[in-house]
Parts: sequence; structure tokens; C-alpha cells
Amino acid sequence: MILYYDIPHKLTETVPLSDNERIYYAVPYDIDREGNWVKGAYLLVTTTKIHIYDGEKITDTIEIKRCQKAKAEAKVGGGILVVTIDGLEHVLVHYSAKHLSRYAYIARGINILISGRFEEVESSEYEKTCPKCARAIPGTKNCPKCSKEGGFLKDFTNMAKPYKKDFFGIFILMVLAAVTTLLNPEIQKHLINDVLKGNGGMKQALIFIMLMFSLSVGIVIVNILKSNASTRLGAKISADLRYKLFKKYQELPLAFINDRRPGELLNRITQDTTYIREFMEDVFCNLFAVLFIFIWDVLFMMILNIKLALLTFIFVPIVVVMILAFRRTVSRIFHLQWRKNDDVSSDLQDVISGMRVVKTYGREEAESERFKVLSAEFSETQRRNETFWAIFNPIISFLMGMGAVIVVYFGGLDVFGDKMSAGELYQFITYTLLLFQYINWMSWLPRELSLLTSSLERINDILSQEINTPDEDTLVDLEIKGEIRFDHATFGYKSYQPVLEDINAVIKPGEMIGIVGASGTGKSTLINLLMGLYEIDDGHLLIDNIDLRNISRKSYHSQLGVVLQETFLFNGTIIDNIRFSKPDATYDEIVYAAKMANAHDFICQTPDGYNTYVGEKGYSLSGGERQRIAIARAILTNPRLLILDEATASLDTESEFMIQKALERLTDGKTTFAIAHRLSTLKKANRIMVIDGHNIAEIGTHEELLSRQGIYYNLHQAQIG
Amino acid sequence: MADNNSMNIYEKEAEEMTAMRKITKQNKFERTEGGFINLTFDGVTYERVKVVRLFPFTDANKYISIRQNDDKAREIGIIEDMDELDDDTRSMLEEQLRLNYFTPVIEKIHNIKDEYGYAYFHVKTDKGECKFAINMASNAVTKLSDSRLIITDLDENRFEIRDVNALTQKERRKLDLFL
Repeated sequence: MILYYDIPHKLTETVPLSDNERIYYAVPYDIDREGNWVKGAYLLVTTTKIHIYDGEKITDTIEIKRCQKAKAEAKVGGGILVVTIDGLEHVLVHYSAKHLSRYAYIARGINILISGRFEEVESSEYEKTCPKCARAIPGTKNCPKCSKEGGFLKDFTNMAKPYKKDFFGIFILMVLAAVTTLLNPEIQKHLINDVLKGNGGMKQALIFIMLMFSLSVGIVIVNILKSNASTRLGAKISADLRYKLFKKYQELPLAFINDRRPGELLNRITQDTTYIREFMEDVFCNLFAVLFIFIWDVLFMMILNIKLALLTFIFVPIVVVMILAFRRTVSRIFHLQWRKNDDVSSDLQDVISGMRVVKTYGREEAESERFKVLSAEFSETQRRNETFWAIFNPIISFLMGMGAVIVVYFGGLDVFGDKMSAGELYQFITYTLLLFQYINWMSWLPRELSLLTSSLERINDILSQEINTPDEDTLVDLEIKGEIRFDHATFGYKSYQPVLEDINAVIKPGEMIGIVGASGTGKSTLINLLMGLYEIDDGHLLIDNIDLRNISRKSYHSQLGVVLQETFLFNGTIIDNIRFSKPDATYDEIVYAAKMANAHDFICQTPDGYNTYVGEKGYSLSGGERQRIAIARAILTNPRLLILDEATASLDTESEFMIQKALERLTDGKTTFAIAHRLSTLKKANRIMVIDGHNIAEIGTHEELLSRQGIYYNLHQAQIG
Repeated sequence: MADNNSMNIYEKEAEEMTAMRKITKQNKFERTEGGFINLTFDGVTYERVKVVRLFPFTDANKYISIRQNDDKAREIGIIEDMDELDDDTRSMLEEQLRLNYFTPVIEKIHNIKDEYGYAYFHVKTDKGECKFAINMASNAVTKLSDSRLIITDLDENRFEIRDVNALTQKERRKLDLFL
């Protein structure tokens, strides 16, 4: 995201800069004082001042040393930059949603300058529309249209390089296909001229027919081979890309994954690679053959009869324009149908999943009526579209046929005038038909190429992400004893928004710490840090006095046990799921772990015992049962460090009791962090940590915190009193 | 265990939330130097209050909630109808609403171009000319009623079309794809 725009000359000249002063940030604001759009207005931040430029002159200048705080406040459809000057909050500029996150960075940058430091804030977020051509950027760093000239070709050749041999094979087949296709009309000409109109006998005719037959067979064989080879290559390329993407996803830091919507990342693996395969199958396998045929086709036509050829070519642009116009209409109406379809199905889903509510409030009639209207609209659009579709293809054929009609008319005149033989005319007509057929095909190319470019861009965007993997040699394998120390730890998911600030605490080995606090205060974040999912921004997190950053991931995670509120079971059997933490566990160990987790008995009740298939489509287990499998999974590795995130929150009393017992066995003597909303589940905790306002608000034993009469006391009173 | 004298703060908070307080002409608003407003209500002056529309689409000038400026944003009171306030107060509140809500109303559609899944709009709004892009695959266009639309662009700016039927035939044809 750009934080320093190219500013107009006029502005550069008017900004007074003293020695040692430079411009840090220059960003546009697009709404003026009256609430109207404004162009060419900027906010400038220099080392010591903030300038506001309204497009003509600097309207306001603020000394940074008079400021205490800058804040970018998000509003509906836009936001404002608020700066506290001499203790009073001032609105500096108003901007649309386009600049929302940009100003969040600017506010952070101003705050750094206020605090007397001179670091510059950078943003790794991407622009959503291209600042040059205003086109939408499909979730990548650069605009595919104007990023780099020939970037697409480079991307494509990079992707193709490992498959040189396959590409070469397909290329040969394409040339063969082109040659056979072009040869056929030539033979037909001879058949007509030399045999039918000349004095050839049946024998000669048979030779030509045999030739034509074998050519046709040849075309079919070459085309089959070509499609086969392309399909295989397409599948290979997309499989390789899928694997590379998946592997990269596993390596990428969670922060990168969290910045993007899950669906988007999924699409890159499924849709974008599929698109590349389809392109290879449908487009690429014909690409060169078509170009090759096209060029020769045009040449042959001109050699045969230059006048007639030029006459036909005049017709080409008209056909192209009409085809494109038609196609536009078609894609519009199908988009419309698709939207209506979407409306109907989402409405249906809505009503069906809300069936109980609909019934209890007696709204069945009204809902049916509403659905009827939607459904009728949909069927109307569908009917219209099908009608249109039914005439679309014949019209295109007709347009292309028109070219042939003209050729027949003028060519016929030439034949009568003895300027052309009948065979040549026949050959010419065949070439004309080929010409229009390929023009139709080629008119799809820009669209296909653009889709391919977007897909390639998106895939490369991931593959080219650099990951700083720490040097393996400096990492230590650690036998965890269990002392945890937070030392001025600060962390935020977004650089400008700290979630935890300056956390300090020492946890003794074997201690159980309960974590409480309102939602959104950073409890789960604290746990995410402990699990090593994110790296802290400032300060240290020390395990047995060694910084977590210096401990090998593998050794750390093998000694970590985690039970979360919602247990995720992978598709597979119960045994697979328990074994997930330790793939080489014996039956004995597994049964023991399950018994300790109070899971053994219900597993015995399932139809296939430990081999029962669970997961998305498998045998459905209750929340408590899933939880106990997760506990068994954790017990199996005998972890030194345990993390329980609301492990008993969504359970009924009986299963809660069972799980409580299982958890007690699990946590015995191990350093444990447990998040809980219900304080009763923290009875066994040695100390309680209350998180509030990005920080540890209170820490101590249950009794200490009660006597303090603070947040914990109030929570306790509300729940128990 | 709990003694009733010190009613729990959460209970108190929950109780306070239920209060319906109305702000009328009698309550005094004043501008701050920084471009915000303060409100004096029940003898207490609240600094830099928040101004929130309760029914931004159906009744933008009725039921305006005035809230405290902190994380909890507790409600100070509700203005039932802006028209019942004096002109000065109303213009003060309108200024604040302008800062808080930015939804240009489209008055004329110059052009809509669709290209590879995105549609590019060039329109005249009540806030001036502007161009924006929407993603055609997402639900960028929300229907508030049969003739009223909210269009959300890629940057999550919102544009409103008050009445589709008031547009010319030509403009409606351009918009057809999204209706």
C-alpha cells in the first residue's frame, strides 16, 4: 500500500522544509469540509510538521511537537484522521473507504514521530485498484495489466520450463494437425478438376478418395494424440502447482494466511490451478495449430484468387464485431440468470435452515408466497435466456455462412468467366469456411488469456512469497521443564493495532494458570503466542529461560498439548485422530490414553470401535465426545506444556464432569494455561490471570484476587453471587 | 454470598442499558475547536459525543442516538426528530453526521463497463463526479427495496441509488445487469 504518493510539483515547491527535515508520508484525502469529493488534495507528514494541501494551497500546518496522539477513526463509508493537539482532539482530514487502512498506517507513523523516534512505517497490504489504470487488482501485488511488460510471457515460460519435452511434443503434433487440415482442400480440388471435370476414370477417383480418407483418418489420429498430450500436460502442471501451493501454505506464517480470506486461498489451490489445466486442454492445444492454419489459409486464399480473397477479408471485421456484440449480450443475460439463481437458492437455504423459527411464528404462508415470486422471476429469466440461446448459435453460423455466399457468388462469376476452375472455387470456399471458423475461435483468445494471466498472477503471488526460515543450526532442542516468562511482550495481528502490550509474568513449572477476561481482550491471542503460531513483535517469550524464537519448532510442538473449545476431527477413524499427535503410538498406548481421557467407554459403544470413521461425513460424535478424543490425543504425547482454550465451555453438566476429571489427570504436574468463562472450572488453578485493556490487569490466587475487589471479584460476584 | 448493598457492577450496567432517555431542545450542544461537539445533559457535560443514526436507510433524520466517546460508547440519549431542534443545533449535528456517514447518492450514470468479472462505474453523485469499480461475483449490489439500491465498491465505499425508476431508460439498461 502506497504511503508516499508522487505529489504534484506545485505542492513540492510550496512545502517549506528546513534542514534535516524530509517528507515521510504523502497521501491523498478525497472528501472536503463540505463532504464532497475532492481531487488533488493531500496530507503531508514531514519530520516535524503535518501539512494539509487542498489542491491549491496549504490550508493548515501542525507542529508535531504540539501533538499528543493521532488516530485514524473508521466511519461508515470512510474515516477521519483525528489528532490531539494541545490536549484537544481535532479532525484533520476526511477520506473515503479507499484510504481507510492507509490512514491507519499514517496515524501509526505520526505517533512514532510524536514519541520522538524516526522510524518509517511501511505497509505490506496490497492496493485493491491499480493506481495507474484504475483497474481492479485480483488480490495480487501488481496490476496484471500494467505491472511489467511481457510479465505474462515470463510467468508462462517460467511455469512451462520444467515441461519442455512435453511442450515440444505437442508443438510437433500441432504442426502435423495444421498440415493435414490444410492439405485436404488441395486434394479435393484435384478430385474435382482432374477427375470429375477432367477425364479421370473410376480408378483415379478411387485413389483420390482413398487419399482423402486416409487424410481424414490422419487428422482424427493427430487430433486425438494432441488433445491427449495436452490434457496430460495440463493435469500434470496443475497437479504440480497445487502441490507447490499447498506446501507453501504450510510454510507461510499464519499472519500471511490471516490477512487473506480463507475462501480466496482455497480458490487459488482449486480454481486457479483448474483454470490453468483447462487452458492447456482447451486453448493451448489448439493455439499454435490455429495460428499456423490461419496464416497459411490466408496465404492460400490470396494465391488462389487475390481479388476474391480481399473481398472476403472486407467481410471479416463485420463478422468479428457482430460476434463480439452477440457474445456480450449472451454473457450479460447469463450473468443475470446466475444472479437470480443465486437469489433463489440462498433464499431457499435461508428458509429451510430457519424452518423452526418460521413454523413457530406461523409464517409458512408468507414465506411460501415470497419464494413463489422469486422462483417465478427466475423461471422467466431462464425462459428468456434459453430462447435467446436457441437463436444465438444459428445466427453465428449464418454470419459465417454469409461469407461463403459472397464467395460463391463472385467466385461463380469467375468460374463462368474462366478465370478460375471449379475445383479451385471449391478449395477457396473450404478455406473461407476455415477462416471464419478460426476467427470465431480466436475472438475468445483475449478473454482466455486475461483469465490465465490473473490465475498465473495469483499463483505466483503465493509462490514468490519469501519466508524467513531461521537458521536450523542456531535452534536448540529443548527438554521442557515448564517455566514460562513473558518479558515486555507486545503483539498485534496488524502492525498498527497492538492486541497485547507490554506483558510481564513468570509462571513456575507445573503451575496451572487460569486466564479470564471479556471477549476480545486478547486471551486467545496470548495462547496463540504460547503455541508458537505467531511471533511477538517486541520483547521476549522465554521457555526455561530460552527465547521461543530459538527453540526448534519440532521439539517445542512435540511437548505441547492443546485442547480447544471446538475440537476439530480430521476425516478418518477415531484411531487416526488420536494418533495424529504421535503416529507411531501402539494400540496399548492408545487404549490407555483413551481410558485416561474417559473416552474408552463411548468408543466401545460405537459400531466400529476405534476404527469408527469420524469427521465431516462420518459417524457423528457429540461435542463432549470430540473433546475427550482431543484430550486423548493430548495425553498420548505426554506433553510438558498444556493449553486449554474453553475446553469445557459448550458441554452439558455430565460430560463436563467427565472431562473435568480427564483434564485433571492430564494437567497433573504440568504447566497449564486454561482459558475459561465459567470461573467454577478454574477451581484447581494455582493462579488466575485477568486480561483487560491489552494487558494483565490482575494476577494472583483466587483468594488474593477476591480480596482485591477488582475485575475478578466483580466477575465472581456476577457468576456465583 | 452477594450482599445486596453493593449491587454488582455488571447488574448495574445491564440495568442502565434499559433506560430510555430523550434529548430535546432543552439540552445544549456546543461546537469544539477541533470540529466535534459537546453535549450537556442532566447537568453533566459530555465531550466529543458520538452521533449515530438508528435507521440510516429508512429514516435518516429520526432517532439519532448520542453516545459517549469511549470504548463502551454508552448512550446519553436519543433525539427523536432532528426537525424539532433549532437550526443551529441541527446544523451542528448534520456536520457530525457528514463526518460519520459518507454514502454518495448516484444521480446520473455516465457509463458502466464490465471487464473480466469487474464492473467499472462512471457516475455523477450528489458529492460530485466519481469513478469506482465493483466485483461482479460478490454481492456488491444490495436491494433495499424494489427501486432502491446500495452499491458497495471494491474499497467498501457505499453508493446509493434512491430510485432506479427515476433514471433514464438508457441508464437503466446499463444497470440492468445488477438488478
